[in-house]
Formats: sequence, C-alpha cells, structure tokens
Amino acid sequence: MSAADRARTVLTRLVEASATERVLISTAALVLSILIGTAIVLVAGRMTTCAATDAVYYLGTGFCYDPVVVFDRLFLGALGEPFSGNWSPDGQFAVTLRETTLLVFTGLSVAVAFRAGIFNIGPQVQMVVGAMATAVAVLWASSFVSGALGTVLLIPFGVLVGAVFGGLYGTLPGLLKAYADANEVITTIMLNFIATGVTLYLVSGPFKDPGSAANQTVPLPEFARFPSLLFGSRQDFSLVAFAIGILAIGGLYYVIEHTAFGYDVRTSGIQPEAAEYGGVDAAKTVVASLTLSGALGGVAGAMYVMMILGTFQTGLPSYGFDGITVSILAGNNPLGVGVAALLFGILKSGTTVVQFATDVPPQLVGVLRGLIILFVAMPEFFRLLGRRLSPSGPERNPVATDGGRREGETDE
Amino acid sequence: MSEAGADAPVGSRLTDTVAAYSTRALAGGTTIAALFVLLVAGAIFPDSIAGTLADVLTSRNTLASALRLSVPIAFAALGGIFAEKSGVINIGLEGLLIISAFTAIYVTDLTGGIWIGFVGGVLASTLLAGLFAIVTIEFRADQIIAGLAVWLIALGLAPFASQVIYNGPNTPTVPTPDAISVPVLAELPFFGALFSASPSVYLLFLSVALSWYVFERTAFGRWIRASGENPKALDTAGVSVRGVRYAAVLLSGVLAGMGGSAFSLDLGQFTGNGPTMVNGKGFIAIVAYLFGNYNPVGAFLSTLLFAGLDAIQTVLQLRGIGIPRQLIRITPFVVVIVVLALVGRTQTPEAAGDHYESGEE
Repeated sequence: MSAADRARTVLTRLVEASATERVLISTAALVLSILIGTAIVLVAGRMTTCAATDAVYYLGTGFCYDPVVVFDRLFLGALGEPFSGNWSPDGQFAVTLRETTLLVFTGLSVAVAFRAGIFNIGPQVQMVVGAMATAVAVLWASSFVSGALGTVLLIPFGVLVGAVFGGLYGTLPGLLKAYADANEVITTIMLNFIATGVTLYLVSGPFKDPGSAANQTVPLPEFARFPSLLFGSRQDFSLVAFAIGILAIGGLYYVIEHTAFGYDVRTSGIQPEAAEYGGVDAAKTVVASLTLSGALGGVAGAMYVMMILGTFQTGLPSYGFDGITVSILAGNNPLGVGVAALLFGILKSGTTVVQFATDVPPQLVGVLRGLIILFVAMPEFFRLLGRRLSPSGPERNPVATDGGRREGETDE
Repeated sequence: MSEAGADAPVGSRLTDTVAAYSTRALAGGTTIAALFVLLVAGAIFPDSIAGTLADVLTSRNTLASALRLSVPIAFAALGGIFAEKSGVINIGLEGLLIISAFTAIYVTDLTGGIWIGFVGGVLASTLLAGLFAIVTIEFRADQIIAGLAVWLIALGLAPFASQVIYNGPNTPTVPTPDAISVPVLAELPFFGALFSASPSVYLLFLSVALSWYVFERTAFGRWIRASGENPKALDTAGVSVRGVRYAAVLLSGVLAGMGGSAFSLDLGQFTGNGPTMVNGKGFIAIVAYLFGNYNPVGAFLSTLLFAGLDAIQTVLQLRGIGIPRQLIRITPFVVVIVVLALVGRTQTPEAAGDHYESGEE
C-alpha cells in the first residue's frame, strides 16, 4: 500500500469515526458555554447596582441582570420574534442572515487553511484589505457604467477585486511559512496590525472622502451595491450575497473532498510527512491554501462594503475572529461552517437586541466566543464526562476534532 | 513551531543550528552596523532625517520609554519561555496580560494599595493560566487553539467587567507608583534612565536574571528543558512530566501577570476599547523570545529592540519627518515580520505542542 493510499484510509476512518462525535462535542461545548455565560451574567448582576424593583430574584437572591431575558433576547430577538405572531423577514431576521453571510466567508476562509494544517488568524485582516480594495476599485469603475447594467457588472467586479487583494494578503504569510518557516499564527497577527495602520493611512489621506469628517472613502453609488431582493433595504441584507455564500459552501466542499488540490490539502493537514512522501508539494500546498483562504476573507470584505456599509471605514467588526470560532465549531467542515455561521449570525445579531433590551454589556458575546473555542478544543473533557455517565461505554482512542492536527502531533 | 527537523539526520540538524545561529548573528550585526552608520551620519548632518533619528536615539527619554514599554513584553516573553521550554506553547500570553492589567487596576481601586493591586493582577493571570494548564495538560486540548481561546476570553471578559463595574470600557485612574532614583547614577546622560525608573523596571531586571539562573543553574530548570525536549527521559528519571508542565505554565501566568499588572499600574488606568491597551504586546513577546532563542537574557534584549523601535516611532510621530504617522506606527510590526523571515527556524523544543502520557495510567 503506497503512502498516499494509506493516508487516504486513515483519513476516511478518521472522518467516519468522528462525524457524529464532532456534532455531539460542538453541541455540548455550546451548551456548556451558555451555562457558564449564565453564571457570568448572574455574577455580574451582583457586582453592579440597580434599583430593587429592577432586580430579578432567584432563590431569594436579587440579581441586576436576568440571564433568562438575556438568552431569550439573544436567540429569539435575533430570529425576529418567531413566536410573536407577526414575524416578518424584514426585521432583525434580515440582520441575522446578513451577519451569517459574512461569517460563512470568514468561516470557510479559516476552514480551508485549517484543513491544510495551517492556522490562519488572518481572515480579519484579509477582509480589511479586500474591503479597502473593493471600495476604491468599485468607486473608480462606477464612473464608467450606471443603472442595472452597472449593478450586473460592478458586483462581480467588486467581489473579484476583494478576492484578489485578500488572496494576495494571504499569499504573503503563505510564502513566509513555506519558505522561511515563519510561524503563521504570529505573521498573520503582525500583518493584521500592519494592514490596520496602512488602511488607516490610506483612508485618512489619499482615498479620504473630502465631504465627510470620518475616515472613510467616498460612498458607492446605489447601483454599485448589492440589490436587496424581497427584503426591505433598511437592514442592508441581500439574498444575492447570501446565495453566493451558499454556493461558496458547496463549492469549497467539492474542492476539498473531490479534487486533486483538495486531496493535497487534506493529506497535508493530517499527515504532512505521508503527504510529502506521496508526492504532495508541501510548500505549494501551503501557499495555495493560504491564498484561497485569503481570497475568501477578501470576499467577506467586498460583501461588507457593497452590502452593508457602502463605503470603507476603519475599524471593521470582528467577522474574521468570529470566523475562527465558526470554523472550529464546524470541525473545519465546509457544510458545518454553514450551520455554525448561522448560529454565530444569531449571536452577533442578537447582541444588538440584548444591548437594546437589557443593561448587560455586549462584550458578553465575546466571552462566549472564547469559551466555545476553549471547549471545542478539549474533546477529551467531554469523552471523560461521557465515560463517567455511562461506565459501560467503549474505551476509544482519542480522535482529533479537526484536520488542524499539528505537525508531528501524535495520540499517545 | 514546526518540527521539520525532527526526523532529519543529525548532520543536517547541526547545519540548521549553525545556519539559524549565523542568521541571528547576522541580523544582530546588521542592526548594530546600521545604528553606527546612522549615528555618524546624524552627527555630520544634524538637520537631515538621520540627524533627527540620531538625536532621538541618543536621547535619555527614548531609553526611558523603551524600558517602560519593555516591561509588559519582556515579562510575558519570560513567561512564554517557561511554558514553551516545558513543552506547552502558550499563545495566550496576550490574554494573560489583558486580564492582569484590568484586575490590577480594579483591585487597586478597591483597596487603595498599589502593591495589593499588583498581587491581584498576578493572581488573576495565574488563575487563567491554570485553566489553560488544565485544559491542555489534563484534557489534551490543542495548545494553539486553547491559547487563542485564553486570549479571546480575556479580550471579552476584561472590558465586560469594566463595563459592569465602571459603566465603560475604560477604568478610572488610580495613583501610579513613584519612580525609584539611584543618587548620582541617575544623573548620567542617556544611561541615567536605567537608574531612575518605575519599580517595575527593576523588577523586570531581577526577573530576567532569576529566570536565567533557574534555567542554567537549577535542577528545576533542567527538568523544564527535559520536559520539552525529551519527556520520556524525564519520566524515566522519576520526575513527573505533568507536574513540571503544570509548574511551568503556572509560572508563565505569574510572570505575564507581573507584566500586565505593572503595565497598567504604571499608567494608572486600564483602557479596554478595541484590542485593549495591551494591543498585541503578548504576541510581540512570543516573537521576542523566539528571536532571543528561548534565552531569558536574549528575550530581554530583543524586547528592548522592539520596544526601542516603538519608543522611537512615538517620538518621530510627534516630530514629523515627512512620513505619515500611521505608517511610522507600524514599523515595529514590520520589523517583527522581517525578523521572523530571517530567523523563522528557531530551536523549538522537540516535544513542544505534544501531549505526554505517562505509561503508568
């Protein structure tokens, strides 16, 4: 059996053995995070002060924040009050789908790198670079076309520009990793700070909108933005962008599972030595997967500019970092990314509802994000818990939760 | 942190070591040569950019602020060395800095004692490091992902707590510790900055020396090295790998906590907007100890280099040398990337990132 065949067998077994388990672990991690989140809300509710009439009482103790209300607002609010009887798509639900769309791209971006065994922290910055490039390029191009034809031409053009610039900014850490062996976690974080500085310079200098006090580019004309079919334009959500997101999920799934490139990526992620022995060009795979990863992040940036903001401003929301959570929660599976992105879309959209309805600081969702990552990273904990609960359960070898097993990692 | 050389024959690994050493020496040599040229050029043409730079470089204030900026980075780097040498890559240093920076201010505000606040910050960071240790050592979590989680949890928790307690992401200001001045020596030009500084700077000097001593001269230091290089041998020798790793990770929490607490207490406030006041210092710390090749003194010197760059760029922003402020600000990060490209291949401990299961279970 050749090394490539062997790698394939290992891969198949790994995927089959752990698919159900992954779903279970992700669900358990989520539930546990919410439980701890509840505890944090309660403790925080004791630390702050409020009028006695505003407090809620559990077990005879008064708390300023009510976790039930918090999580009710977080989830039901984000879905646009599905149980209220007058649900409409054009409300908070549209915001949820909008957030989901962007998270699909940043999530896929992290997933494709992870499958190749690379931890790309850079989607955030690749998104910033893609967004800046799109805002400038589409603004320039919008002077040549107009009307419906303009929309048809400019949308693909903008997405392409975002993908190219985001991709190039992904190639850079790829080259550094492949040829200088520089740790990608650190280079992508450093590139993050660099791009933030450079875009701030560009948007406050050469590309600044002279008519605005804020550091932003000249707003795009209406026809250069994603059309809001079926949904009211108020929520800045476009079904077209959402559909592109769904296509990207399917496309990436196909590329990873059914193409030669995808095979190289998967084997590099699971067994780099075997992959190289089996004829995979490791350096090329690293550069290519980080470029693809960057391109997906860049598309998220293009969507942000052409669907949500209509211009480029500094200080983009942290879709990139949330993409890491989305991907880890999804076990780096493109199809799973769809589900995890929806979940995080709800969390992000629900945050604003919580902010509106309660006094609980919105940073709570950031804490939840960290907790979810932490718990998904420790499947052993849940296995142990499972074994405690059912002592007759079979003793199993630990399985990695993702393709992101690091080089030389072994399960002793 | 790849282990590309793990299976290579000894000969080629030796070549790698020599190559890595000489690039490091080359990088260091180039820096010194460039500095020398700059100082000479500055002396000859005092009105040029070189003149401005040379002026800034030789200013006593630059050294003083470089030392101040070094404190959080160097402490975190020392902590990172302990953890990674023992085989646990602690990428969550940034999170430890954030949580201790906030807690130190909170406890100081609560009790009125700066040193009580300092201890409080160290405790908070050690607790978080303890959680990280349990998760990675006990439950075999991927160290990189768990480290990232530590960062994100702290990044959310500190501003959250500040919002709950102070109704905003920034805390009110608390009194700062007084600088300690050594008589006579403090009057020296340029080097006088070394003898008139915040207590945290002296604490840092002490910690660097102590860490060096622990690694080079004590049994515990040898155990930590063995735990990262060859855990099986350590186990065979009858020392608990798990125990050594727990101690090392907790120690990294203590050191990073000292850095974070000193950082915010020296400024008298915690600011929690965006990436918080820590703003990547924990990640620069990782680069600093990689560049310093896991040597406490080396890590301190490379920290001083990065912090020096940061101090210079702050002055240059104010003076104006024709380069936009926003671009000057990113120089430390660009230097980090260049340094990593040159010395990316560091001598990562052999077993760093791996779980170790003792055969007794």
